[in-house]
Amino acid sequence: MATTAALIDQLTADAAPVRRLRRPTWRALGWLAVAALLIAAITAVAGIRPGLLLLFRDPVFALGRAAALATALTGALATFQLSVPDRSPRWLILPLPFAALWLGAMGYGCIADWLVEGPAGLQLGHSVDCFRAILLTSLPLGALLFVMVRHAGRVRPIATALTGGLALAAVAEGGMTLYHDVDASLMDILSHLFAVALVVGLSTSGARAVFRLLGPRRRPG
Amino acid sequence: MRGPAERLAAGMEWAALMARAQAGDRAAYHRLLTEITPYVRSIAARYHRTREDVEDAVQDILLSIHTIRHTYDPERPFGPWLATIADRRALDRLRKRLRSAGRETALEPAHETFAAEPTNGESAGLEAEELARALERLPPGQRQALELLKLKEMSLKEASAATGLSITALKVATHRALKSLRLVMQGKR
Repeated sequence: MATTAALIDQLTADAAPVRRLRRPTWRALGWLAVAALLIAAITAVAGIRPGLLLLFRDPVFALGRAAALATALTGALATFQLSVPDRSPRWLILPLPFAALWLGAMGYGCIADWLVEGPAGLQLGHSVDCFRAILLTSLPLGALLFVMVRHAGRVRPIATALTGGLALAAVAEGGMTLYHDVDASLMDILSHLFAVALVVGLSTSGARAVFRLLGPRRRPG
Repeated sequence: MRGPAERLAAGMEWAALMARAQAGDRAAYHRLLTEITPYVRSIAARYHRTREDVEDAVQDILLSIHTIRHTYDPERPFGPWLATIADRRALDRLRKRLRSAGRETALEPAHETFAAEPTNGESAGLEAEELARALERLPPGQRQALELLKLKEMSLKEASAATGLSITALKVATHRALKSLRLVMQGKR
């Protein structure tokens, strides 16, 4: 084992100038802008959902969608804050109430549909499309997000990945409101919930491995 | 122990050194790493007991500081940035150590002594001696048959030609010899 003094000499020799990271808030806004562009592009191709504005008259629907947007915004902000060592670990808490509201509204939708339709709501219909759309939107945005916070692997990998997963899933699921013509059937909502759980679960459980893969390495000077 | 005012002064100085290090000032960087090492070591010592473990953790922390030094914002205090990295790395290392400790058993001197060749050679030597003595005590015909067929690995035909005995006689002699040797060796145990 090399001595600590020898390591310090070695690191000093490697110490090329580095470009400082921008403030977490700016970086979060940058990622959100890319996410918004992607959702806008998909909406432009798929076409805006008919009767979208009418849907917002339903208070539970409006509340759920607003909560999804809030989860995306606060989740992204928390992810970039948590990825930097000197920021408070309490940023983890910020997106959680919004996420609870967002998922709660979806759960409420499930129960309401079950009461009206019963098991008839459990038909596949659009749900496979929903599931695929959420995963396919999350994939490129997730890759970008993990690359942007790759330095978090040495600090708070799990907390960063958890808020990141929430932000990702909220963007992907919330974004579908604009372009996806769903009849809000039980199966649709369940597939949304399942996709969200998958995105958040995969981000969190794979966090250490992904950060190890992407993490910054010592560059020889 | 430093007082709060001294710590603050040191923190501000370290912040300035890190800002210069980020711009590529190697002398500032060397001074910073050297100066923070005792502090980093005190954090590592909270999680690790042996000197090697503490030193390994210190090196891991210094390496982490190096790889993510671009995440430090000189407009903010340096202390929390450093403390978080040191704390997380030392804790992470402890977690890894505990995980591997659950799967591994440390080798003690006794394990090596008993597994080593010389420790076990003795009884093998004793048995060989015992066997040689038992061989000597066999009747000459039986001993000869064993020597030719088992030790020199001759075929029955070759042994028959060498001794002038019939193949059947050789078989019977070998069988009896092995039987009496087995009895002798079993009795010994």
